[in-house]
Amino acid sequence: MNAITTMNASQRFHAIMEGRPFDRLPLVEWAAWWQDQTVVNWHQQGLPKDLTDRYDICEHFGLELWYQDWLRPRHWECPGALYHGGPIINDERGYNYENIHQHLFNWPVDKQKWAQWAEKREQRDDVLLWFSLDGFFWFPRTIFGIENHLLAFYDEPELMHRMNDELANWMISTIDTICEVCTPDFMTFAEDMSYNNGPMLSEDMFNEFMLPYYQRVVPHLKKKGIKVIVDSDGDITEALPWFEAAGVEGILPLERQAGVDIDALQSISPDMCFVGHFDKLTMDKGEERMRQEFERLLPAASKGRFIPSCDHQTPPAVSYDDYKLYMELFTEYAHKAGALMNTT
Amino acid sequence: MAQNEELYNAILKGKRKIVQAIAEQAVADAADVEELLMESMIPAMKEIGDRFSRNEAYVPEMLIAARAMQTGLDILEPVLAAKGHEPIAKVAVGTVKGDLHDIGKNLVVIMLKGAGFEVIDVGTDCDVQKFEEAVNDGASAVCCSALLTTTMPYMKEVVEHFATKDDVKILIGGAPVTQAYAEEIGADGFANDANGAVNAVTECLGIAS
Repeated sequence: MNAITTMNASQRFHAIMEGRPFDRLPLVEWAAWWQDQTVVNWHQQGLPKDLTDRYDICEHFGLELWYQDWLRPRHWECPGALYHGGPIINDERGYNYENIHQHLFNWPVDKQKWAQWAEKREQRDDVLLWFSLDGFFWFPRTIFGIENHLLAFYDEPELMHRMNDELANWMISTIDTICEVCTPDFMTFAEDMSYNNGPMLSEDMFNEFMLPYYQRVVPHLKKKGIKVIVDSDGDITEALPWFEAAGVEGILPLERQAGVDIDALQSISPDMCFVGHFDKLTMDKGEERMRQEFERLLPAASKGRFIPSCDHQTPPAVSYDDYKLYMELFTEYAHKAGALMNTT
Repeated sequence: MAQNEELYNAILKGKRKIVQAIAEQAVADAADVEELLMESMIPAMKEIGDRFSRNEAYVPEMLIAARAMQTGLDILEPVLAAKGHEPIAKVAVGTVKGDLHDIGKNLVVIMLKGAGFEVIDVGTDCDVQKFEEAVNDGASAVCCSALLTTTMPYMKEVVEHFATKDDVKILIGGAPVTQAYAEEIGADGFANDANGAVNAVTECLGIAS
């Protein structure tokens, strides 16, 4: 087989996602660091103090620039929850879905920002563009609150359907607006619908309350040429076929602590793509432990359709030197995976 | 003693109106409410917990079952108390300092109550003083929950705080927490899920199940 010439970030991403040969793995962090903890520590340990922007820090470490825009269905003027995970509606303040509705589905897309990003992607070889949308589990949860949302599957099925119907309509128009400027490489549906023992809801509930809306939005995304990934923490193994049936093409971040195993995922759904899965808890354990972790991921990564990356935000216990070492090893194994892919 | 199938199934399926009607009728008839609790209600919660552990039931089903259970308990508790019925033990449950994620903690509370424990829900973002207050209030076990790897280390502080109190058991759980971590910090017990928390507390306190 001929050697693969150097790719730019977009070409590399699409090649891996489609199971085609690639030059090397992307060097990427899909999630921003804890600014108030990890980055604060690093500033004390040698990271230049003027580096505070996520993408500036990426450049400093030699990471590719995956520019992300999270488009929210709730306008910034919408009332929020009184506490983490609390409800916006049906609490003592008297808000309900009707009287907060004026604040929903009208967040403007910053087309100027997207135009600037698209220009950077044209000019540089390390830029990728993506956006995130609150998913059909996530959005109703933010409105109902965590616990009431889970009860709402039984208590308020009609309202749940209405929310997701309106969300799907808004998603389609938002996707169209972005695509007036450029075509992003991929997008994520933020869901977080699993925990360490699997999905929080049953397949029946998924099929009733989420699947119909995925089936409206996903074909629209694919028609535009945008790869479709679901972002769900926890163990998504059981739910993987559910998402695949919904047309979703990839999952992240495959948290190791939740027991996720890439070999099992590839075995269950060989056509799905995966991002993440590098056990973040190894990153402060030294070279040998980190090397073991990369070795664990290498066979799966060299098959394609898998982009290893930290399986969630880098913990604050990981020092600046730890992270530099992680990047050295990441770079080494990124090239190894590309070489292996092209010789098998 | 016999199981009330209608009550058992109503709790299992989260039918709180049916539970309410049966419980109110039982009180009105001066029926043996302790038998209803022990033979129908607690077994129903145990069954939904077991199904949850096997991924045959999920969080919504657990929550509606627990809500139905609580509806029944609210009606029966005054009668139970008057008859001198005692909870199995008193247990404190809370998320550790810095952690506001409480769905897992709430499920543990639900399952412990459903199994007959009295629960002091210490809430979220709990420092050792909050857990200490619960222990002073009679809790013989402290269940600490964490979702974040950044808050998980605080569990060690809780364990160390109670290290000299042999009569207080410290159990830990939550998404990033493992049996190995529990052993590493010297916790008395670990639970992988809410149903497992009942078994772990029962075992730690030496209670025959």
